[in-house]
Amino acid sequence: MTTEAKPVIDVENLQVAFGRADAVRGLCLSVPPGRCHALFGRNGAGKTSTLKALLGLAPVKGGRVSLFGLDPARDEAQVKARLAWVPDAPGFYPWMTVRDALAYAASFRPNWRRDVEAHLVGKFELDLAAPTKGLSKGQRTQLALVAAIAADPELLVLDEPTSGLDPLVRRQFLEAVISTFQDRNPERRTLLVSTHLISEFEGIVDSFTIMQGGRDVLTAGSDDARARFRRVRAWFDERTPDALPIRTLKPPRHEGRMLELLVDGGPDEARTWLTAVGASRVEASALSLEEIFLTTATP
Amino acid sequence: MSYDSVSGVRWLIDYNSGVPVYLQLVQQVQAAVASGTLRDGDQLPSVRALAEELRVNRNTVAKAWQELESEGVIENRQGAGCFVTASVTPLRRAVRTERLAAALDGVIVQAHHLQVPDDTLRSLLEERLKKFKQQREASNDD
Repeated sequence: MTTEAKPVIDVENLQVAFGRADAVRGLCLSVPPGRCHALFGRNGAGKTSTLKALLGLAPVKGGRVSLFGLDPARDEAQVKARLAWVPDAPGFYPWMTVRDALAYAASFRPNWRRDVEAHLVGKFELDLAAPTKGLSKGQRTQLALVAAIAADPELLVLDEPTSGLDPLVRRQFLEAVISTFQDRNPERRTLLVSTHLISEFEGIVDSFTIMQGGRDVLTAGSDDARARFRRVRAWFDERTPDALPIRTLKPPRHEGRMLELLVDGGPDEARTWLTAVGASRVEASALSLEEIFLTTATP
Repeated sequence: MSYDSVSGVRWLIDYNSGVPVYLQLVQQVQAAVASGTLRDGDQLPSVRALAEELRVNRNTVAKAWQELESEGVIENRQGAGCFVTASVTPLRRAVRTERLAAALDGVIVQAHHLQVPDDTLRSLLEERLKKFKQQREASNDD
């Protein structure tokens, strides 16, 4: 084993219940410092419940949660001082202006970065004098992100940050996270993001967990996952073979003289077999994270 | 695809290639050096700028630059940025030969799967070498 830094997020067998429904049923998660981990899943998969349990906003029914090696229930103040989060629908006191809302947020944060605040307010072209109650969904999310990043947290938690935003705002949002949040001591800046808009986070996430029904369907490193999950296409001179001796993730797709297989474990086995049964041409490509999600999570 | 006016490199991340993202960046710098797009002393974009441009994690770009530095393709001048270096020591040459052999093994395996005969592969290699040579000469004329 290599000596890795102690995980910032360490979750063992987490169970969260809302009312009579079990939202999270035994999730394990370990994220080292400086990494970006994503939770992928459909609505109701348990992503938000997981984040809320980590943030102490939802009751933990079972299992163990540790952040920065601390217990968020016992050491609440210490834990909260080191993290910031952007909820999917940020709320502000309606009588406050953008300037008031930022000053209010800053009053709780000893390490508030005025330079970061000014930089991001400028980048997003937010009007400091505007009342928060008149802000659009995009502007509310931008304001919440300014407040979160200016707090200089070690752990930034984003819950469905870009859903419902237009493409330009989404792009700006991601750029701000990449260039501003990780600006100082990037090896200590950890990001946890929940999203169903997988493709735009493809380059940012180091590792991910696909959730379904409150459970972990797949946890993997992004590069490892793309090396494992492959689409292999083979063209035959005659008809495509029926019986397959290899395990595929979905039923094979026959299209004319082309046979398409989705496999887990690299393309070599499928390639060798397809060549052996007479394929005239074989092509393999990696599945993107979104395709991996669509393949592994059952509808 | 993203054209970088500082280095003149066309950066392209292909998530369907199955090649780790940092390695794609390493290979693109190596290819740009081989083709003469990047020359001795040219500056690479900063980790922050390229990460933001390609919307990839900063760790990914940092890892690529680190790898290129350990291979001796670039050097990190403290505070100034990363620059292409053409100096090749014998030790580095041995490491390079070893890496190249591994890459060629991959090509040979591919050729076998695609049922390309050895002679065709040899002439293809000749052809590609010629093409790169022409590119290099063309960019030297600029």
